[in-house]
Amino acid sequence: MKRIWLFPIVVVLSIVALIASACPAPAPVAPVEVVKIGALQDMTGATSDVGVDEARGVAEAVAYFNDIGGINGKPIKLFQYDYGYRVPEAVTTYTRFRDYDKVIAVLGWGTGDTEALKPTITKDKIVYLSSSFSGHLCDPAESPYNFVYSSDYSTKARATIQYWYDNYWLKDPRYKEEREAGVKPRFAFFGHFGVPYATAPVEAIKEQAKMLGFDFLADQDVSLWALDTKSQVLAVKENPPHFVWHGNTTMSVSTTLKDFYALGLSGRGKKTMHGSNCWGHDENTIKLAGPAAEETLSANKVALFMWDYPMRATVHEYAQKINPGVPLEDRLVHAVGGWLKVHLMVEALTRMDNAGELDLRPEALDTTRARLKHYFEVAPLDDIAKLYGLAEFTVTPTDHRPSGKIAICQIEGGKFVDRGFVDMKALYPDLWAGWLGW
Amino acid sequence: MDRLPCGTKFATYRADHAWWQTRFTWIKMLFLAVVLFFIIPQFVGGYLISVCNMIGYTILAAMGVQLLIGYTGQITLGHAATIGMGAFACALSMYLFGVPYLVGLVIGAFAGGLLSLLFGLPCIKVKGFYIIMTTMAMQFITIDIILTQFLGPLAGKGRGGVISVEPEMFSIGPWVIYSTLDCYYWMLILVIIMFVFMANLLRTRVGRAWIAIRDNDIAAEALGVNIVRYKLLAFFIAGAMGGIAGSFWLTTQSIVSPEHFPFYWSLWLVGVLLIGGVGSLYGIIYGAIFMTGVLELIKLAIIPLSLMFPAIAGKFLHFKDFFFGLAIIIFLIFEPNGLAYRWWRAKRYIWLWPFSY
Repeated sequence: MKRIWLFPIVVVLSIVALIASACPAPAPVAPVEVVKIGALQDMTGATSDVGVDEARGVAEAVAYFNDIGGINGKPIKLFQYDYGYRVPEAVTTYTRFRDYDKVIAVLGWGTGDTEALKPTITKDKIVYLSSSFSGHLCDPAESPYNFVYSSDYSTKARATIQYWYDNYWLKDPRYKEEREAGVKPRFAFFGHFGVPYATAPVEAIKEQAKMLGFDFLADQDVSLWALDTKSQVLAVKENPPHFVWHGNTTMSVSTTLKDFYALGLSGRGKKTMHGSNCWGHDENTIKLAGPAAEETLSANKVALFMWDYPMRATVHEYAQKINPGVPLEDRLVHAVGGWLKVHLMVEALTRMDNAGELDLRPEALDTTRARLKHYFEVAPLDDIAKLYGLAEFTVTPTDHRPSGKIAICQIEGGKFVDRGFVDMKALYPDLWAGWLGW
Repeated sequence: MDRLPCGTKFATYRADHAWWQTRFTWIKMLFLAVVLFFIIPQFVGGYLISVCNMIGYTILAAMGVQLLIGYTGQITLGHAATIGMGAFACALSMYLFGVPYLVGLVIGAFAGGLLSLLFGLPCIKVKGFYIIMTTMAMQFITIDIILTQFLGPLAGKGRGGVISVEPEMFSIGPWVIYSTLDCYYWMLILVIIMFVFMANLLRTRVGRAWIAIRDNDIAAEALGVNIVRYKLLAFFIAGAMGGIAGSFWLTTQSIVSPEHFPFYWSLWLVGVLLIGGVGSLYGIIYGAIFMTGVLELIKLAIIPLSLMFPAIAGKFLHFKDFFFGLAIIIFLIFEPNGLAYRWWRAKRYIWLWPFSY
């Protein structure tokens, strides 16, 4: 019997699995009063270009809150796991968090896992605070336990095109001739058609563009992993768009910007300008695209890492403390997003504890999980959002869109510059309610 | 001597062709059924049940790949497309027209089968690497264009092609497939039906024709096998199996998105076969258990370890993908016949001990 060794390895692995599953969760030594939170992250998959830094931010924020006393003295235990953007793995990891680690709430990651888990979360009544801001996840009628930590993609997209229209199309001299000739501004969408993250705000931004009187060019499919997008850019070269909306993440957006630049369509002072979704730009955009990224507009989810926001000193301190190997200059806006996500969760849990409802006994777990939702909705969390450069975070039992005020930033001379807020709720008070859920 | 299957002892063809030839095998299978239907649901928590569901989904998904690669010799790298098409067809027929789940499942199976048949047409003319190219084309055309551009938008505005079906709609008669445990039972039923169907199909004229084509298509044609017909039949049945797998996936999630069927999932299924054993029915099961189970074992180690050493979560998880590449290479070098063959050898060894050769 040659090479029989493979068989014992399999047997040993299965025995290890059996023993491990028979053992209780590896927490018996810890005190009973521990607040457990699960976190699904993507550090190796399709969205890892933005996912790694958010995962670091989440871990650093939890370390900070534990240092200042956790939830009224109860330490937080974070179960963080990379699912590599593979949906089946997200599903088993979530059930592990739910049944094995017995977490109170879950910090989710992308549309891949959030969409897949939405019905399960609704069934299980577990709060899922996600980094995927799709419009329909903000409709409590459909997904009552889903929360997002920054405004939804659709509102962000509407605000960005509104900003461009008001400040460039109507005012900028480069468009004077066309404006006076009665030409309609042209809009194009670049993004990965097969990825809901990229396509979720497309209907919303197109509706907004239609309202503002745009003409539409054909949508262009750009993969999240794209390293060359010349054919897509060439497809719009004959009749170049004035405003391009990029739905992908940083890496492929930077590639597209570079190809637009290389073909002479965009760059400082050129007539094609760009806007990107909140995961489509970060500090790396400038390094990757350089002059090609000049004047690009973006809707921010939080303040950029090096910007001046109230929590900056703490965020930087813990960045150096927990991840000393990563220089501050290499850290990204997404880490700040991770901080905001954890901070909102901590605040809701603290509110719950103050009300005496944070019951951590195993038999009360289901009630506690279901009740947590109420403490996000009971009162605004604006103070927390302001610490990270946002205007507000107010969700109600009927509307989970955190805010209508969208922070716009622009790349100017190789730096991100704050362009203030566009308040979509105030601009379109009659339409605002109808935008819920898409 | 019921236990040891050696020596000639069958007096009838019926006994000779029986699946379970000895009383010992019957007892073993009965025990397996008790474990699957009673012990696992009773004593295993929700987490492991969902791992079992994922194993079941992998088995259902890999079955069609096994039929094409393992039995007909048509290498496919686009099977996720048929799974996706099946899931979308099932979801859309339930969402738009409110058809019952079982009807949706049949529609899903047909949709998957027809898609696979369509992209299998080039197999009349081409084989080998070129058939890989056409199946890869099936993957990208179906997922990125058909599902995303045409079927996904039917779900409504702002959803990015995600279709969700009310979980209560998944019912078979009075039984609503709602909880993880319900999905588990449904998975067992489907796996058993599909397994029995495929095992028996392979023993018929059709199955033998497929195997003949796999071994040498020119010789098969010379012997009078209609290669075109049988190859296309294989594509259709494999696609229909993919469609059924997709409809099962829909039950576990109540939601379906083009993102659930990426190219890596097609490759993953081929990996399941390479590790489990190409051309072996049991190989599908062993491969699925191995590929899903090992990921969970890694999770079991990483999550507690990363509480102590946070760096692990960030830096060492890349090894997970590295490990799978390594596992496939190791199997190709040391055990190209896969786990199924290894299991068979181990059983032989125990049966014949101490007089093995």
